[in-house]
Amino acid sequence: MVSTVQNTDVKQKDVGQAVVVAVSFAAVFEAEPGDARSGYRLGVALPLLQVLQKVNERLLEENPAEHQLFDIILITTDSWQQQQSFSIINSTRRHGLEVSRFCFSKEEDFIESLMQNNVQLFLTTDGNEALQATQQGVPSALLDKNLASCPSEQLRVLFCEDAIIQPHAGSTAASKKSAQQSFLAQLGQIRQKFGMFNSPVCFTLVTSRGGKDSCCSTLKSLRALGVSVDEAYCLGGAPRGPFLSLLRPHLLLSDGFTQLDG
Amino acid sequence: MSEIKAEEKAAAENSGEQDWEAAKAVFDTLKTKVPRPPKPQNAVTIAVSSRTLFNMVAERKLYEDEGLEKYVAFQVEHENEPMKPGPAFPFVKALMNVNTRLRELYPDSEELFDIVLMTNNHAQVGVRLINSINHYGLTIERFCMTGGKSPIGYLKAYLTNLYLSKDSEKVTDAIEEGIAAATMFMPEKESNLSSTQLRVAFDGDAVLFSDESEIIVKQHGLDTFFEHEKEFENKPLAQGPLKCFLEALGKLQRKFYAKNERMNCPIRTFLVTARSAASSGARVLKTLRSWGLEIDEALFLAGAPKGPLLEKIRPHIFFDDQMFHIEGAKELGTISAHVPYGIGQKYNKGKLIEQPKKK
Repeated sequence: MVSTVQNTDVKQKDVGQAVVVAVSFAAVFEAEPGDARSGYRLGVALPLLQVLQKVNERLLEENPAEHQLFDIILITTDSWQQQQSFSIINSTRRHGLEVSRFCFSKEEDFIESLMQNNVQLFLTTDGNEALQATQQGVPSALLDKNLASCPSEQLRVLFCEDAIIQPHAGSTAASKKSAQQSFLAQLGQIRQKFGMFNSPVCFTLVTSRGGKDSCCSTLKSLRALGVSVDEAYCLGGAPRGPFLSLLRPHLLLSDGFTQLDG
Repeated sequence: MSEIKAEEKAAAENSGEQDWEAAKAVFDTLKTKVPRPPKPQNAVTIAVSSRTLFNMVAERKLYEDEGLEKYVAFQVEHENEPMKPGPAFPFVKALMNVNTRLRELYPDSEELFDIVLMTNNHAQVGVRLINSINHYGLTIERFCMTGGKSPIGYLKAYLTNLYLSKDSEKVTDAIEEGIAAATMFMPEKESNLSSTQLRVAFDGDAVLFSDESEIIVKQHGLDTFFEHEKEFENKPLAQGPLKCFLEALGKLQRKFYAKNERMNCPIRTFLVTARSAASSGARVLKTLRSWGLEIDEALFLAGAPKGPLLEKIRPHIFFDDQMFHIEGAKELGTISAHVPYGIGQKYNKGKLIEQPKKK
């Protein structure tokens, strides 16, 4: 059973054209230690939500009639949190978060709630949830406290070989492919609305393992999908750590798209 | 506190090892048998910018006249046309030759040159760069296309031993961060360079050594300088920005000597200094000796112009801190690289340059 509550403070986005980003409740809010009645404080996802909002602002500056915006919804399967729905919605308002809808469901209906809401990207701090979503064809990314050190004026998306989640072989390949492709195409379209200088969105490609040729062909595959990468780093086995701490991405997306040719 | 740090360091090293092993697995299965890049800590890493590797003068002009978007569009349109070689190209080919010789003698060693393309260019321009690299068969497997961001952090992440660029600001930043770096210039005429031996020429003061002696010349004149150098003959000079690069070259040279290849060594180093052997040369040689470094040929010019001598030496690269010498070398066909370090930057041909008032 899935129930959805609209946030009346926020203008609802055009469902057909917006890029729906679902964030798990636990990533956005942490219960205050001790007394849950004292409300929730903000969790690790805040910087990402703020930068997505920033991108929306810039999109609307370019075109006040823009419909291809990020549409942020909150998802939870925790029944305790569902009972607190009133205080959750309040906390959201209090912190000025542009969350357009709240989705409550039972754990077993979680995937259904993603599907019903046409979610194109699912963000969570829970590895299992992310894995489940990916297996069902919804691109997912794990969030952690590194988000706090990411820039606030620019959404940095990193495409890399091995993201945290690897889908198991044998999952429904065709539908997953098209979901990946359409999500990437939309990201690409959003990026194209800005020039090369001063863009609030930046795409970076990092390959750790192969050499320059595999990095170059990945660059071209992305380009074919409509994603024009801004920065590219071919590490050829050099440790990734120092590079990631320089790049400070908000989102790490696996390059499952290289499997799209196969 | 230190326990946590030790744990973090161990964790970082572990994940670095994992990255390394994963890459090794991929390269080992490649059909083209491209030798896999060495671990940064074992290699002598040379980072070259796109404009030093290739001649991009016309494209640069397009960028300056018509802006970034037109420039990138042009590069993408022409991405299957290889670019012409730039000033660092012969140097890179010579490095590759040394690697070939090293692999013959030490097939399992990772003590090699590792060439990294370090460019500010937008990644879409990268396709043309990679195509050009492939066209000439250059072994460059690592690159950073930073889309406009400063390369300094990435230089450090690759443990870069030498950074070559056409942008003097980036080079100055690198030197300030302790990375050997130089701004490259295209020579005004072509010269015939060795294809079997890497030849590197260095100026002494403010390049291999600190600028302490040059300060004395500029501020107190030559006579004081000679007296000073004689007095302190046995006190080693402090090191300059390129000292560690000379050291890295020496380490590789010794690998050839160890296999009886001294007569046939594919690396040769030159000191080309305005000092004179009689009055101020001893201190320089003694300093090198105290550092345990060898230089193959030391040429003391006693103030004579460097151009004609360099024309005879024909190095793949010549490092100097003074633009006056760089100009002279360029005119006669030597590929020169300016090291923007020390007091020499404030002077032009012996006269103090008027610094514009800072706003």
